[in-house]
Amino acid sequence: MLTLNRVSRRYGETIALDGVDFVVPENTYMSLLGASGSGKTTLLRLIAGFEEPDQGEISINGARIDGQPSHLRDIGFVFQNFALFPHLTVFENVAFGLRHRVNAPVKNEKEIKERTDNALELVGLEGFGHRAVSAISGGQRQRVALARTLVTEPRIVLLDEPLGALDANLRSRMCDELKAIRERLKVSFLHVTGSETEALMMGDKVAVLADGKIVQTGAPDTLFAEPLNAASARHMNAWNIFDASLCAGPVGQGAIAVRFDQIDISATGQAPETRPHLKAKYLTGEFNGPTALSFFRAEDGTLLQIIDHLSQPRLPDLVEGESYDLHFAPDAVRQFHGAA
Amino acid sequence: MTTLSTDTPSDTSLSPAQLREKKDRRRAITLLTPGLLWMALFMVLPMIMVVYVSFWTQTTFTVESTLTTASWERFLSSSTYLGAIWTTLRIWAIVLIATIVVGYPVALFIGLFVRNKTLQTALLVACVIPFWTSFLIRVIAWRPMLGTEGAINAILMQLGIINEPLTFLLFSEFSVLVGMTQIYVVFMVGPITFMLGRIDPSVIEAARDLGASFGTIFRRIILPLSLPGVMVGAIFVSVMVLGEFATAASLSGRKVNLLGNIIVSQVGSLKWAFAAVAGVVLTIIITAVIALALRLVDLRKEM
Repeated sequence: MLTLNRVSRRYGETIALDGVDFVVPENTYMSLLGASGSGKTTLLRLIAGFEEPDQGEISINGARIDGQPSHLRDIGFVFQNFALFPHLTVFENVAFGLRHRVNAPVKNEKEIKERTDNALELVGLEGFGHRAVSAISGGQRQRVALARTLVTEPRIVLLDEPLGALDANLRSRMCDELKAIRERLKVSFLHVTGSETEALMMGDKVAVLADGKIVQTGAPDTLFAEPLNAASARHMNAWNIFDASLCAGPVGQGAIAVRFDQIDISATGQAPETRPHLKAKYLTGEFNGPTALSFFRAEDGTLLQIIDHLSQPRLPDLVEGESYDLHFAPDAVRQFHGAA
Repeated sequence: MTTLSTDTPSDTSLSPAQLREKKDRRRAITLLTPGLLWMALFMVLPMIMVVYVSFWTQTTFTVESTLTTASWERFLSSSTYLGAIWTTLRIWAIVLIATIVVGYPVALFIGLFVRNKTLQTALLVACVIPFWTSFLIRVIAWRPMLGTEGAINAILMQLGIINEPLTFLLFSEFSVLVGMTQIYVVFMVGPITFMLGRIDPSVIEAARDLGASFGTIFRRIILPLSLPGVMVGAIFVSVMVLGEFATAASLSGRKVNLLGNIIVSQVGSLKWAFAAVAGVVLTIIITAVIALALRLVDLRKEM
């Protein structure tokens, strides 16, 4: 179990992490979702020991690891750009950790070969050992980077936007494989990403990092359906967040959120009396295949999005520039307290 | 019909691809011409001339174009001249090693530990500051430094480490080695820094994360990746040291005779044929050294 306790990191005036409390349980696929610049890479670098926190403690199973040199921490790190050793073959890249680590290096060539070949097989690269790393594709490099980390059997594997450098097709295939590999090895993965779909799809648990703090941790479905605050709702990219005073009807006050797929549209003045509603101008639509997204501008300038599923269309025909009444069920509303 | 025109291409008009190719070729030739002309006139021709002259007949003050191998025989049978080849090779090897030993750590610092590009450039420029004065001043400045009454001896005497001035410091092979290393080390620092600067920092972090100590990372990752830089630096230093004569002339007190010094003195006494022999020998040595260096590291692959 990896525990972060009130961990802070500043770069001059900029606060990258501001008292992060965070736990990655054993045998878990944990996604860490954060926008670019939210400090998620910094968090990983602190855990791996490439940098040290200004304040706070990092520990694994109760033993502190902050302050330890990174090559003694026994933590796996998969780099976004893979960071393969350009002068070594695929095999030697993967064998590097076994051969050259300070703690218990493997001297027996037969064992090195066996374990390296097993790791390559695990990531589906058997027979690629003799290749130069410059002679394989991006997806294969990703696998080499993964095999190179996994072969040393680290206590936890950190993945820094591991799919960012891959094309969309490869990305979804790699997602499934990452999950399958992790389930076979029973080691915890901490997967950092800026994509909410990736985070929700991959994680047994998802944590949201915003403004240097973990704002919410939970199961993907809970997090998606019941964000606890505006910051985590915003990261789901599925919630309209607006001021309750825009609405007529029983909605309370302050910042409220309604999911893209839970808003209905009717002509001005036609909204059902029982449902909270607000007036907004239709801007434009975006057709995405199975879903269609419509954009509205509320009276105070807030941008609202409504999603319509092709199999169950529920929106009327919309005219750009026209105003409509947007309404929703009273229990679809999530009310946030404190600052939005 | 369109099929008609595609089936029967006329011989006179070229396809756009061929035209482009022709244009590219013309541009390449235009770009190469000045360099090729220069090389042909001022390098290839004189080289041929030097080889030719080395077979001319040398009398005391004149040289005639009657072909003979007399100069070659004299050169290859004289222990003085063979000794000069040996001295040249020895000094080259020592200076080469000294520039690597002194230059590599400096390059390592600038290229790897200074991650700020501006500061990197500033430090590299600082390495070149000695070049703002003339070559001769840089060489001669070693005399007040290394002489019997020079700075180093004075300091050592003051500190009571020695009672008599060290005489081997100046006008010896030692002073030549010190002078040459100081002058040429920057040509080693530059290329190595360049190669080290190209190493992705995350590659080194990855190696640390896999559990390797800094020593291992240096041996297994940093050194192999910087080797092409060492090779380029070695070629620069070799070419310059092998043809050297000025440092030896001003710091050795005429005790060290390099091939370059022989050429200078032979030309000075109008022994053209003999100077040409030494020149040819020197060229062969330099060519062999560069060929060897290129053998060791495949620069085309590494750059």
